[in-house]
Parts: sequence; structure tokens; C-alpha cells
Amino acid sequence: MKRATKLAAIAGAAALLLSACGQAPPEDGASPTANDTAAAGGGTAVEGFKPCIVSDGGGFNDRSFNQSGLEGLQQAAGSLGVDYIQVQSASDTDFAPNIQNLLDQGCTFIVTIGFQLADATEQAAAANPDVNFAIVDNDSSAKGLDNLKSLVFNTAEAAFMAGYLSAGVSETGVVGTFGGQNFPTVSIFMDGFAQGVDHYNEVHGTSVRVVGWDREAQDGSFTGAFQANEQARQTAQTIIDQNVDILLPVGGPIYQSAMAAINDSGRDILLLGVDQDFFVTDPTTAPILLTSILKDIVVAVNDATMEAGAGNFSASTYVGTLENGGVGLAPFHDLADRVPAELSSEVDQLKADIIAGKITVESYLNQ
Amino acid sequence: MTAAVLDQLQEVVEARVIERKKFKVPIVFASTTVLLTLLYGLSARDGDAQFMLGSSSDFVTIPKVVVPGMTTAWITIGIMVVLTALAFVLANAYKKSPWYATVLFCVAAMFGFLAWAGAGAPAVVNVVNLISGAVALAIPLVYGALGGVIGERAGVVNIAIEAQLLMAAFTAALVATVTGSAWAGLVAAMVAGFAVAAILGLFAIKYRVNQVIVGVVTNVLVTGLTTFLFQRLLVPNQLTMNNTEPLRFSSIRIPGLSSIPVIGPILFNQTIIAYLMYVAIAAVWFALYRTRWGLRTRAVGEHPQAADTMGIKVNGTRWRAVLIAGAIVGIGGAYFTLVSNGRFNWEMTAGLGYISLAAVIFGNWDPVRAAMAGLLFGFAMNLNNILGLLHTPVPSQFLLMLPYAVTLLAVAGLVGKSRAPAADGVPYVKE
Repeated sequence: MKRATKLAAIAGAAALLLSACGQAPPEDGASPTANDTAAAGGGTAVEGFKPCIVSDGGGFNDRSFNQSGLEGLQQAAGSLGVDYIQVQSASDTDFAPNIQNLLDQGCTFIVTIGFQLADATEQAAAANPDVNFAIVDNDSSAKGLDNLKSLVFNTAEAAFMAGYLSAGVSETGVVGTFGGQNFPTVSIFMDGFAQGVDHYNEVHGTSVRVVGWDREAQDGSFTGAFQANEQARQTAQTIIDQNVDILLPVGGPIYQSAMAAINDSGRDILLLGVDQDFFVTDPTTAPILLTSILKDIVVAVNDATMEAGAGNFSASTYVGTLENGGVGLAPFHDLADRVPAELSSEVDQLKADIIAGKITVESYLNQ
Repeated sequence: MTAAVLDQLQEVVEARVIERKKFKVPIVFASTTVLLTLLYGLSARDGDAQFMLGSSSDFVTIPKVVVPGMTTAWITIGIMVVLTALAFVLANAYKKSPWYATVLFCVAAMFGFLAWAGAGAPAVVNVVNLISGAVALAIPLVYGALGGVIGERAGVVNIAIEAQLLMAAFTAALVATVTGSAWAGLVAAMVAGFAVAAILGLFAIKYRVNQVIVGVVTNVLVTGLTTFLFQRLLVPNQLTMNNTEPLRFSSIRIPGLSSIPVIGPILFNQTIIAYLMYVAIAAVWFALYRTRWGLRTRAVGEHPQAADTMGIKVNGTRWRAVLIAGAIVGIGGAYFTLVSNGRFNWEMTAGLGYISLAAVIFGNWDPVRAAMAGLLFGFAMNLNNILGLLHTPVPSQFLLMLPYAVTLLAVAGLVGKSRAPAADGVPYVKE
């Protein structure tokens, strides 16, 4: 029995160790990048400036916002010639301890990624007034903390363009969308998309329908989690069954299940990417990828870090828009011939009109 | 006391038990009817509901059925009221409601609910796709539950179904991509399930560690291991190690059978893993109840001392059961990366292993009933998908609770007393 207990203990320890490794690799990322670019010159940082970053459960190689956030921080740390620390969160319970860890390591500027970290970040910011924080994808400005900067993206504007485009490209006259969960950062894509389709209908007198999002109820089709599995595939399948020929899945890897459902259907159905240009981050989507709705987290984090590094930190909220390039639409890449030139120029004009304020796109960020 | 006297006593006791009035079924019927009546009464919806009983590519094309939503909903309420009254009358007369009354009640409730939800909605409810999707959703659950049933029937509680599914999904993705063959991936997944089962067996059977603890630790271990390997190995080499999209098993139409209206496209237009599931359910049932192996397996799960006295090697039998169960769960794991999704993602099983465990208990440790439990859960999940498109006044967050609510209702209301194998979870020590 003694031996058994020992073995169990070893297994338990190994399990914990492995799960720790899986989520939080040793924080050795700093030196090479720092050295490379420090030699090249770069900017000047205030004495003792130490930028740090915490991921949410997705991890830094999620090919999505965690990865972009880290890239932005790396760029800034490189140009400032300083070291940085990165920590991955394995679960929701890790957020606060991870931030505390970074505080203990002497970080002076901490970037947290994802609205899930909002509570932990706000509490840490309130408790540590002399450390500056920035949170990606969450609007914490209502807390009135002067050491916490919110980096948010009005992706509804870009999604509006994508919706307009899709309505023009769709042959069945039905386009669809679904999300992971009904969070503002998810539904902003779906709502903007639906508005774009409505606008197309208004301009062209058509009646293209959106399946999976109800503008009036601000609710729609959700898989319940951000996991690519059978649930996500069936959600996509149910939407495809409604004769949809363009699909916008919003939420981490669920687009992969949408891709599986599209390939299974044997029909000509196109996919829209979110956050990053899927053509670059996931080339396997290329044959069915119409375009991607972009969110430039790299630039936002880089700018915020540079600002803080130069001693000019400001808590004013950054809102990525079409105007400042924080959001946008990716090129059509392989499917460029599916978009008539006229439609393409209409979409470009749309961008100009939104920037000029001729067209208003509603979202939770401009209410 | 002689055996005859004992038998007589038993008969008397059993007769008494049956003679008690049982109102569980009528009460569940009545409360469901009242709830739906309230729903329809308080939130009336205008317009017609559109149903489809097949797709245009079917052998027999059934035209779209359009019914007036609210009228249909109230008619089904009428049917439900009648069935409830009938159930009360029967219960009052010491009789059980027949099973087909329950089925009819469920169908009426479902149809009425869908007619209400679909009233005036722009979307069509395709009943065939709804149910065939439910089957697809149930597949990993059913494999998990079958593995769970075998293990627990032999007396080993398997909390590690989640770990087996996850490890198998990971291995299937890796091996299938590297070898370029989904079949190789499927075999590798079974080996992976087998390997995790071996860890479970080592601690639970050989070292007699508490089985719940071993299971939980195994889950943490495998979650950590696969996440680590995913981030360090699969993510940097996505195209060469984690890309099953071109290899995924596609649906195979079985000639003849798939032309049967409604049932055909539901059951016989699935992937090879689904067909294997039909075989597995039957095979596990047969093996457990009709073979010497099954008898011995159940014996060591119910009364290992007695089995030992009869010369059955208790731990050997348990080992065999746990390892076979692991390989079966492995097929379910392969489903994640060889059918559902074109690559492995960390923690992609998202707790389905635990739901399989619930299906084992819900199915009263019987392979066929556990499979049915898995199907019910799959149906509830897919119902949530279609309801999401119908613009119902029910918020999506509530809809996402549906599978759990349905399971709870079914377990509490419609399933009889469940009894675990007597020696379930108890390590065997020879005295």
C-alpha cells in the first residue's frame, strides 16, 4: 500500500508538472529578441521599464489574439531594447496569481489579454497604482482607473463591410453566422455583419437573409464554448442546412469545425475569417476563404507599450476603427475572382463612408 | 428455511412492491404539460412553422410541411392532457403506463414545442437533419459510455473516460496526418485509449488506489500532456503533424437502407465510426449478457469473492475488461479528429467524458440504455442548434442549458431506480 501511495503521488506530481509545462513554458522568450533589436538601436525606455504580458486560457500560440498581443509586446520591447516577461494562464483561476507573479517580478507595465481577465486586471490595477496596465478586448474605462488602459476594437465596422460584401457575393441569398458564446466581443462581429447585409439590401433592393443572428433580440446561434468539436460542426451544419452559402464563425478555433462542415456539405460555401487574416495564419482555409475581418492587436499593443515605455502612459481608451487602421478587411486572396469589380469598389466606398461618418455602424462601443 | 419458503416470501414481497400506487410518470407528464401550456399561453407566436422530413437528395422526397404554429402547439397540448389523464387513471388502478404512451407524450411535446418555436420564423426545421445531427453528436458519448459500462460492470469505476477520449483524439490526429491514413489514425486511437486504460488498471487494480482519485489524476495528466505536446509539437508543425482535414472520414450512404424515408438518411448516411458504433452497442450487449466472458465480468463486478471461489481470476478479468473498454473509448476519441474537426486542439473534448459517465449511470449500467442516454443528450444539444436559428424569445444562454436540463428531467422523472454493480469501485483483495 505504501508503494502504491508513493506511485500515485509521483503520478500526481507528474500530472501537475506536465499541465504546468503545457500552459506556462519557461519565460525565456525575452533575451534573444531584446538583444537583436537593442543592437539595432530602437527607442529609449524610461529607467527600469519592464513590460509583461498574461494570456488567457488560449495560450500564446493560439494563432489569434494572445499570439498577436505577444507579438505586439515583443516588437515594442525589441525597439525599446528592454526585456519582457510572458506568462500563460491555464485556467480562469490562474489569472489573478499570474498577474501577482508579474508584479512580484517587478513588472512596470502589464498587458492582459481578453475580457476574461478583466476582473483580475481591474483589481490588480486598483491595488497597484504605480504599475501601469493595459487590457486587450475589454472596456474597463468605466472603472475610472488612471493606470489602466483599455484596448478595444470596433470590429462592427469591418464586419459591416464583410456583411455587405457577402450579401453581394451570395448566390442563394442566405448568409449565416454563429459564435462561441454571446459575449460583446463575439456578438459585435455578428451584429456588424447583419447590419452590412441589411445595408446591401437597402441599397440594392434585394432581400438577402442572415441566419444565426437576430438583430432585434441581439441573440443568435452559439456553440456554448470556444472549442472545435462535434457541437461546433453541428451548429455550422444546422446553419448550412438553411441554404446558407457564406458562413461567419466567430470564436477561436470553431472556424475549423465550420470548415469541416463546409467540406462535408459538398456545396460551394465560403468562409469568413475573424481577428487575423486566416490566409496567413491558417493556409488550409485558403480555398474557401472569402476574406477576414481584421483586428490589429499587434499594433495596438505595440503602440501602448511604446507609449508606456517612453513614459507617456495614458489611461485613455484606444478604440481600433477603420479610420485608425485598428480594424479592417483582409484581401480576397485566392477568391478575388468571386468578387465583381463593382462590388469591390462599393465595399471600398463603404469604408470611406464609414470613416467619413456618412454611414453609422451600431455597436456596444459607440452607444 | 427451505428454498421454497424463501421463494414464496420473495413473491409476496414483490407483489406488495408492485401494488403501491406509483405517480411518478403522471406527475412528470402533468408538470411538463403545465410548463408548456404556460410557455405557449404567455408567449404566443404568430405564423406558420415549416418542417422538412428529409433533404432533396433523398431517394423519396417528402415535401415541406407547413403547419400553423400556435394551433399545432395547442393540439399537442390536448394530446398531452389526454395522455396525462390516462397515466393518472392507470396509476390509480395500480398499473404502469405503457412505454409507448411515454414515447407518444415525448413526441407530442417535442413537435408542439418546435411548432411553437418555428412559428413565423424564417428558418425551416429539418427533422431528419435534427435527428441525424443528434446521432452524430452522440457518437463520442456512446463510445465513452460503452467503455464506462464495461469497466464498471467489472467493478472498476472509470472517471478517466475524458482522458481516454482526449488522448485518443490527439493520437488519431498525429498518426493519421503522419501516415496519411485515417484508418491508421483510428487504430492508433484505440491503442491510445488502451494505454490510458493501462494506467488506470495499474493503479486501480494492481495498486488498489482509490479509483476516483486515479481517474481524476489521469484526466489532469492527459490534459497536461496533450496540451503540452499540442503547443510544443503540433502547433509549430501543423501541416505535417496535425492536419486531418483532407483525411476525415466522410459519410457513407448504405445502398438500400439509406433510401428508407426518414429513418434511412438518419441512421444510414453516417460515417464509418457511426456504423462501428451500431455494431459496438450490439456486440457489447451480446458479450456482457450472452457470453461466458460477460458472465464472469459481471460476476467480478457484483461479488468478486464468490467469483474467486468459483475459480475466476478476479483481477485478470478486471484487467481485460478495463483494457477492452479503453480501446472502445479510443474509437470515440478518434471521432473528434477524424470526423468532427480537421485537427486536434487542446482540451477539445470539453468534458464530454464526464457526460459519458453520466450516461452510464443514467443508462443503469446497461450498454443499450447508456447508448440511448447518449442519444438523448445528443438530441438536446442539436435541438439547441436549431432553436438558435428560430428567433425564439428564449435567450441562447438558456438554450445552452437544454441538454443538461433534459438529462436531469429524464433521470429524475422517467428512469426507474438505478443500481450500480455491487462491487463497483471496490478493489479486490484476496483474503
